[in-house]
Amino acid sequence: MNISLNHPLIKKSQSLIALFILCLFISLLSDKFMTSTNLWNVLRQISVNVCISVGMTLVVLMAGIDLSVGSILGLTAAICAGLLKNGLVFESMNLFVGFTVLGAILAAMLIGMALGLFNGWVITKFAIPPFVATLAMLTIARGLTMLYTEGIPISNLGPEFEFIGSGWILGIPVPVWISLIMVLIVVFLTNKTTFGRFIYAIGGNERAAFLSGISINKIKLTVYGIAGMMAAVGGVLVTSRLNSAQPNAGMSYELDSIAAVVIGGTSLSGGVGTVTGTVIGAVIIGVLNNGLVLLDVSPFWQQVVKGIVILLAVIIDKMNQKNK
Amino acid sequence: MKKKYAYITLAILIVAFLGYQSVYFKKLNVVKEAKKENFNFKAYADSIYYKGILKSKKNIYLNDLIALVQANPETAFKNHGNRLGIGNSAYFMIKSTGKILDIKDGIYTIADEKNGIVYIDTKYIFGNAIRDASGLVKLTDFKTNAEFNKVSESLNDIIRNEVLPEEIKKVKIGDSISFSGAIKLSKKQNLFKDIIITPSQIKLQ
Repeated sequence: MNISLNHPLIKKSQSLIALFILCLFISLLSDKFMTSTNLWNVLRQISVNVCISVGMTLVVLMAGIDLSVGSILGLTAAICAGLLKNGLVFESMNLFVGFTVLGAILAAMLIGMALGLFNGWVITKFAIPPFVATLAMLTIARGLTMLYTEGIPISNLGPEFEFIGSGWILGIPVPVWISLIMVLIVVFLTNKTTFGRFIYAIGGNERAAFLSGISINKIKLTVYGIAGMMAAVGGVLVTSRLNSAQPNAGMSYELDSIAAVVIGGTSLSGGVGTVTGTVIGAVIIGVLNNGLVLLDVSPFWQQVVKGIVILLAVIIDKMNQKNK
Repeated sequence: MKKKYAYITLAILIVAFLGYQSVYFKKLNVVKEAKKENFNFKAYADSIYYKGILKSKKNIYLNDLIALVQANPETAFKNHGNRLGIGNSAYFMIKSTGKILDIKDGIYTIADEKNGIVYIDTKYIFGNAIRDASGLVKLTDFKTNAEFNKVSESLNDIIRNEVLPEEIKKVKIGDSISFSGAIKLSKKQNLFKDIIITPSQIKLQ
């Protein structure tokens, strides 16, 4: 059987092949890479990016972008930790409202969703480019995080909460389970629901989607809301892993997330891509980060290498579009 | 229509269940009282002082520290200094020996064998010198700066009220003593004269 590089199967599996080559390359250079401890650690680390990136995939599929996910992650993480540790105090009513772990997580997710919805509202209501609207939210959310935390980490959140980030269930880290559930939900949404098909339709041709009766604004609002909520889930994972909410948590996570989406084969022009591709993209970013650390590459060079990988992914995406 | 009501009822039940599992209500004054009882700053400071500061083997001889700061401030600050921020100053836990030349208003003038004149201030033991120099108390362990500073208060109280009075009773002008405590140095510091030490311990030799 003669399979050329342009074979659809090869094209479809580009990111998977890249991941395989990357793993092979790193394992040849470092004997620590292929140890179970390291691999579980990599999976635990990428869980956060997977959560953010699956939300980002929906946004990018719609030909949008969300630069605020890192900041939303930081803010929701801080709020989650703050509610868990300090609750809500109503001095005038002599009332203390305490939050359980579940309550703090749900509150963080609702706030993440609200911030995402706000992004969507600004984009649809005022026809502001997503890049600008979410850039504004990036700054707003980061500022709010600093105000809320006063620049000081919120720590010691208790063993129950810590379990979410550091625990194991059936021999698999809890964050991996959580990210897996998030992935399955979004895969179901994109592949098995009309909502998913509408997202692809809007990304493919927004005008045509509008003319065919799709409520574009509603879909956009929902998608940005989901992206915000996914960022909040990422925030919960980061905070529980450290058992502390850091004021600068999530800084530049949006870049890793966009990188995972693009490397995973989702077109920045929208309409093309899969959630599973994004997961592979996130794994590639995680493995690359881990490999560069294991190989003792300077953090400055790590940034350069990551940038080059993203650039290559975008170039390949453009070339694929041209060939079509 | 029935199906719709069934969905709404189910949604309300789920929200009610999640709400019940998520939040709880208490009277604020009860929570505040409980918190006061929960964290005993005195006991915490006791543990830091008696098990940490007093038994620490990290205290550096004052003359060694000064030599190190003069030769390589970066290494000296990295290996022996403790600081909260990113400034040029840091606190150090030092130890040394010397002869008491004078005692005035709780300030002991010491002829340090290797460093000339140094001063031990036994009267004004305030601020965060001991806490920060020890490096044993982390800001992140406390919810607010006020709580973090309460640790300093408790540590200072222990030294001022429990430790020093007993030790001071035994010493007089002309005695040789060994001492340990906190000092603050800057990386840009050139002069090491008239160093004032916040004591953590004074012992008659």
